[in-house]
Amino acid sequence: FHFKDSLAEDLQSADLVISHAGAGSCLETLEKGKPLIVVINDKLMDNHQLELAKQLHRDGYVLYCNCSTLVEMLQSMDLSTLKPFPPGQPEKFASFLDKVFGFQ
Amino acid sequence: SGGHTTEILRLLSCLSESYSPRHYVLADSDNMSEAKIRSFEQKRAETFSKSQFTLDRIPRSREVRQSWISSVVTTLYSIFHSLPLTYKWKPDLILCNGPGTCVPICISAFLLGFLRIKRTIIVYVESICRVETLSLSGKILYYFSDYFIVQWPDLKKKYPKSVYLGRIV
Repeated sequence: FHFKDSLAEDLQSADLVISHAGAGSCLETLEKGKPLIVVINDKLMDNHQLELAKQLHRDGYVLYCNCSTLVEMLQSMDLSTLKPFPPGQPEKFASFLDKVFGFQ
Repeated sequence: SGGHTTEILRLLSCLSESYSPRHYVLADSDNMSEAKIRSFEQKRAETFSKSQFTLDRIPRSREVRQSWISSVVTTLYSIFHSLPLTYKWKPDLILCNGPGTCVPICISAFLLGFLRIKRTIIVYVESICRVETLSLSGKILYYFSDYFIVQWPDLKKKYPKSVYLGRIV
């Protein structure tokens, strides 16, 4: 499975997504309302990916694990506990920048 | 690169055409972002017919897990390549969100400001991935940016000069 320009089609037809903790992957999946298990990559320099997975998990949006615990997670998971993910608000950023430049 | 590109395109999604032309700068080793950017700009051109953008590449300033010392050397090399770009475009605004690529661009803009050639406003938006700690780019640009935006409240507490708008991507 090499790189595709977009995983949108695959995401749409999936019942469950297992992904690394990259922002794009997580956000795209959560926004399509698909249940998500985030797997952390232990090899990146500082394991900052863990921060997002932990926070999203704390807020009840995803399940998370690492490579060695994935199988166990798949066997014991309860997807009904996951909450729907509210979208981000880039319009707030636009308003903020407009104020900085006096565009209003 | 990758996730950073997705985030920055979302940040751009609500901006008016006052923020034009847009000059994108990518790392030379980045193979996936160009398609995403072109797709974004194409959609944008459907709504705003006079929409303009350019795309340039600079040497990647740092590979994942690259040593600190060689990172300084490669970053200096990238700054050297960034200066002609920043000098050419003389941007009013630089918007960046964390890939190593943004550090040399921002430093070159900062230098142009220091030399009174062009005063650019630098807006840095830390990635949504960063909940408790800043990225390396963030730690550096916290001091060089005019506005430093974080997306989680813990970071606002730790970095009081930052701006917190909630989740914006």
